[in-house]
Amino acid sequence: MREPYLLLQFTVTIPMKILVANRGEIAVRVIRACREMGIPSVAVYSDCDRDARHVREADQAVHIGPSPAAQSYLRIEGIIEAAKRTGADAIHPGYGFLAENAGFARACRDAGLTFIGPTPEAITRMGSKTGARDVAIKAGVPVVPGTDKAFDADASDEEIVAAAAAVGYPLVVKAVAGGGGKGMRTVEAPADLLGAIATARSEAGSAFGDSAVYLERRIVKPRHIEIQLLGDQHGTVIPFVERECSIQRRHQKVVEESPSIAVSPELRRKIASAAAAVAKTAGYSNAGTIEFLLDEDGSFYFLEMNTRLQVEHPVTEMVTSVDLVHWQIRIARGEKLDIDPEVALTPHGHAIECRIYAEDPDMSFMPSPGLIRGLRPAAGPGIRDDGGVGVGYTVPVFYDSMIAKLVAWGSSRPEAIARMGRALREYQVLGIKTTIPFFLWLMRQPEYNNGDYDTTYLDRLLTSRAQSFSEPEAADEDLAAIAAGLDAWFRANVAAAGDQGAVNRGSMWKQSARREALRG
Amino acid sequence: MTFEVDINGRTRTVAIEKTSDGHYRVVLDGEVHSVDAARVGVYGLSLLIDGEGGTSHDVQVTPGATGGELLITHGGRTLTATVNGRRTGRRGPDTGAGAHGEQAVLAPMPGRVVRVLVAVGDDVAVRQPVVVVEAMKMENELRSPKAGRVKELNVTPGTSVDAGRVLLVIE
Repeated sequence: MREPYLLLQFTVTIPMKILVANRGEIAVRVIRACREMGIPSVAVYSDCDRDARHVREADQAVHIGPSPAAQSYLRIEGIIEAAKRTGADAIHPGYGFLAENAGFARACRDAGLTFIGPTPEAITRMGSKTGARDVAIKAGVPVVPGTDKAFDADASDEEIVAAAAAVGYPLVVKAVAGGGGKGMRTVEAPADLLGAIATARSEAGSAFGDSAVYLERRIVKPRHIEIQLLGDQHGTVIPFVERECSIQRRHQKVVEESPSIAVSPELRRKIASAAAAVAKTAGYSNAGTIEFLLDEDGSFYFLEMNTRLQVEHPVTEMVTSVDLVHWQIRIARGEKLDIDPEVALTPHGHAIECRIYAEDPDMSFMPSPGLIRGLRPAAGPGIRDDGGVGVGYTVPVFYDSMIAKLVAWGSSRPEAIARMGRALREYQVLGIKTTIPFFLWLMRQPEYNNGDYDTTYLDRLLTSRAQSFSEPEAADEDLAAIAAGLDAWFRANVAAAGDQGAVNRGSMWKQSARREALRG
Repeated sequence: MTFEVDINGRTRTVAIEKTSDGHYRVVLDGEVHSVDAARVGVYGLSLLIDGEGGTSHDVQVTPGATGGELLITHGGRTLTATVNGRRTGRRGPDTGAGAHGEQAVLAPMPGRVVRVLVAVGDDVAVRQPVVVVEAMKMENELRSPKAGRVKELNVTPGTSVDAGRVLLVIE
């Protein structure tokens, strides 16, 4: 009697169907993991995403509302309802949207669904940037000097100015609920303080529904170093080799890599054990990332914790061969971590990720939504493309503009950079502008190649730059003119062939066009 | 056939004629090239410049987001071109700083105006931020394409705009 009973319990607790509460490349990434593990997947989509790639690749798909995220991807009841309707028993939140929303994790639990991530309690504790600072302090990890809590909504100007003076300039205004560079402003001098607070509050209010902000001292020439970790439900926490994400535009990461050129094996062990201490103090399970600022002198400060899978997780996967999404799922169904901590901390080679955005780098990175007419992702040795779009899909204006992540692996950093350059040249996204030309330019910069940069490097470089990132030389312009002319010639002559119907004299082009027409 | 191709503010003349060997004689501003050109798919062109055995270029010529604009992609770079003056307006935001006469600031993408930073009659410097449009979760500062004065202002905070909408005109 006893054995079948145990077997039954085992079967019941394993997530057998996963609803992916996200869209774009991360939804595709999770659906891929589901397929690899033999787990059925359910996609959700808004009006404008009916023809999106994640919908087409999932086993089932549920429409959850109009295009604005607040009415679809952020609507908790709609997503829970979709899970119930399809019989999904677990939810993977991806990143962004509801991924760090404790209310969502709680709603999943209340509905009897497994949330593939940390507990709502851990999200609440670490999702508040000020709460997370307290945890870090308790864990004995240094934090960046700053105000210990957010300003009240009715805090007086005098109060804010005084608090800022105590923190010291330059400082950073940060949204308590922030992420991805939104609701964040650097203030160099007292004169700009109140304006920056107003902007940060307004941006945070519209992005996160919470406009609370606080202040933090800005470390001069900081590097952004972060530690990926996995924690299981049995108390084991494993930190991984660091990622460096110092290449940022307006506080938004655009290039990430692992390992960091600025971190020695000794420093790696120190930062990793600090990260693990924070996670253990927080009672953290599943995948998470602890972010640090690394000062020039090798001292590091706890910045914040991301209680979810990160955009840049593939670089860690590339240098450790650990599939983090597989492990998220295995941890959520109660398995014990059996990764060798030494393997997790020892990078094999070097990996770089470029976030390909639908933005025009030559127009101050203005969004460039629109129809994707052609797509040829890079491939070949050492290349991984985590894409979220397909040909014929219209990149909508409603969401983040990232359409793919291109990852290059090499046995050394120079090899990874060279490989990334090769892959960027191959990558074709037709119909919209993307940041590919910008990355090609960046991969050629001496500071990037030498590792001589910090989180302010890119913004400083961009303000002083007016030329196109495509840096066309006379020969490139000549070639483009010839191509545009030939394209026009071909189109005119195909049209002419159509007009003449069956009349064809000696033109292979026309003959084949005619054959196609007859076949139709 | 002769085409006028505008690239990076320069107008190039491209004359094309098919030769008996199936290649193309392309005269670019008076310079003669023999080009072996193969159509690949809808937008692709494989070009062997100066004939078979010449340099190989994989080029994609794709319609852009605004009417008449072509995106020419080659080796990871993208240039914008127009053929025979088929552009949407003379006053687009990318017609270059320092241009003469009136220039409009157009919405480059659909979105919502969150802030207007200038008023009619204001003097503005080239690249001075004039309007902030929110799209794709980010606030995007649109800048003046030239130094001048704000002649027309067509939006207020809260206005939803489509791509190509004239937000303001600088004279």
